[in-house]
Amino acid sequence: MSPHAQSEVALLLNGLHAPSQLAEARWERLLRLARMSGLHARLAEANLDKAPMTDLVHRHLLSSARIAAYRAQMVRAELFHLTPLVDADFPVIVLKGAAYLLQQRKMAEGRFVSDVDLLVPRSHLRTMEGRLLAAGWQPEKLDPYDERYYRDWSHETPPMRFPGHSLEVDLHHAITPVTGSLAFDPASLFERSEAIPGTPFRALCAEDQVLHACLHCFHDGELDLRVREVVDIDGLLRTFAAREGFWDRLLARATELRLQRPLWYGLHFARKWLECPVPREVSNALPAPSALSRAVMAALVPLAMLPSDPDFPPPFRVRLARTLMRTRYHLLRMPLRLLAPHLARKTLRRLKARFDRRTEAPTDAGAP
Amino acid sequence: MMRTDYRLLDVGAACLAVATPIEHFHRHLDMVYPHQSARDAPRFADIRVSLLPGSRWRWRGQQVSLWSEGRRPFEPYPIQSALPLFEWGGNWLLAQRLNAYLLLHAGVVARGDRAVILPAEPGSGKSTLTCALHLAGWRFLSDEFGVIDPTTGMVLPMLKPAALKNRSIDIIGRRPGAVLGPVFAGTRKGDVAHFVPDRHSFLSRQRGAQPTLVVFPRFRAGAALACSALTTAQTAMRLGMNSFNYGVLGPVGFDAAIAIARRTHGHELVYGDLDEAIAHVEALFERAP
Repeated sequence: MSPHAQSEVALLLNGLHAPSQLAEARWERLLRLARMSGLHARLAEANLDKAPMTDLVHRHLLSSARIAAYRAQMVRAELFHLTPLVDADFPVIVLKGAAYLLQQRKMAEGRFVSDVDLLVPRSHLRTMEGRLLAAGWQPEKLDPYDERYYRDWSHETPPMRFPGHSLEVDLHHAITPVTGSLAFDPASLFERSEAIPGTPFRALCAEDQVLHACLHCFHDGELDLRVREVVDIDGLLRTFAAREGFWDRLLARATELRLQRPLWYGLHFARKWLECPVPREVSNALPAPSALSRAVMAALVPLAMLPSDPDFPPPFRVRLARTLMRTRYHLLRMPLRLLAPHLARKTLRRLKARFDRRTEAPTDAGAP
Repeated sequence: MMRTDYRLLDVGAACLAVATPIEHFHRHLDMVYPHQSARDAPRFADIRVSLLPGSRWRWRGQQVSLWSEGRRPFEPYPIQSALPLFEWGGNWLLAQRLNAYLLLHAGVVARGDRAVILPAEPGSGKSTLTCALHLAGWRFLSDEFGVIDPTTGMVLPMLKPAALKNRSIDIIGRRPGAVLGPVFAGTRKGDVAHFVPDRHSFLSRQRGAQPTLVVFPRFRAGAALACSALTTAQTAMRLGMNSFNYGVLGPVGFDAAIAIARRTHGHELVYGDLDEAIAHVEALFERAP
């Protein structure tokens, strides 16, 4: 990344915490970088009515803030509709963004939530799925192969949607892929979970929320432009930092679940990019990855996660970094003997889809 | 890395910037945005896009992609259709970003500072009627977007060319004074040509107007003119339904729609003859508050 673009990204990340005082032209670049990484409403939250700005800039921040408010309202509506499906017979944990919203965390303001993720004990997964179906949610249509993929190898059921609702509901029975090297028994997640006042839902305890955010960031999917996941980690850590004994509990929990590696990376990038106040003793207490791993991640993670110059298509080194990180993710998720046939199948299907698309007229889906 | 040379289009409620090495696109842009000064000083743009050509050797013909913030939000178009891609893609991006305003899917014309808003679904003859009214002497404010500022209740101009489709191209093109860009045959939306608003409308692009009359037009071939008055509630609800971002704006959108409905007269107009429709809109306008 050019030093110029790099300093602009630093400006963006800084602007998420402290109001920015910038010239209009700089604001435009900042808004564009923020849009690329899905952070524009966070930027609005930190700056709207807090920093002096021109009408034009105000207009764009207001626009982003309104989208975020609308999406938050959709999440609350979805959870409201889900409320009658939660009974006392087993716990239902709300994960990630929807939980931050219900828990009224400051970090949820201006944070986009794309779906509602629920975690239930594996033994009750079918029951919960049955309740959703009975209440009118419909599973995404999948072919038998994808269906089996979800059931056997993944940690969630195929996404479900209530007709007419804008959000999908994903049912999870674990927070790690069952075939991955980091898989662990999720029973203790439920034992340590906390009730969300005023709702029948539960949330992960503070330490587990941080660990889940780290896992999700570095071990659950591609890293493309996902700097907002590090923003989440930073937000959670700042929320809990002052709680008595939080850091000790976090370290103990990471050790217990063998999640020190994702936590190390989470703390590392939160501090590096967002000046997250992580005590030195805490990071020193975690076993560091090998010098080679650190060097590779230091080189690839910024290229993959941070936005590149918005004036241009992503340059080759960025695309390469993103492909490499995607490969790493797949290897972490399942052993090669499962992965190779899976990817071969997916690639074949993608090529076929591309061929089909060429032979039929594309549609204008989403056109105004 | 080289700096990108953007062309700025100040259309009133928004500013668009576009960069591309495609020569014919620049010529087309000169045709449908003839009043824009060729090179403005760099400034803040609401949308900033590049149109980049694909491989010259592609078997089924070279394509062009619209890039916005390092991404291609749409499927590529044939390279000859760079202008329709820019117009359509630009509108799509504006609809995502201008949530400071209530964005109606509407044509808007004005006489002095009193505006007629023509909201409609695609295919209802909205663009045809908007352009015909403009050619009959009304100031053109916009075709695709009725931009409402919720804080002032004013409708703001968005001086982009109107995309005429299929039969409307000929119907409007035949009228005296009509200026159209090139016809793009067989795009995804059929044949498309862009109607160019006059210079007076362009120069007034920073001047908002007070909504006075709301007409929901519906063209039906051969139909006799039929016009029915709508209640305030009907007008408000229909404004909401003909909006890009009514839902996203929540209470702000609701209040804005109600405010317009209370201040204006609302009518539904079914028409088969364009001149009859123009005469009727003028008559309704005379009676409006």
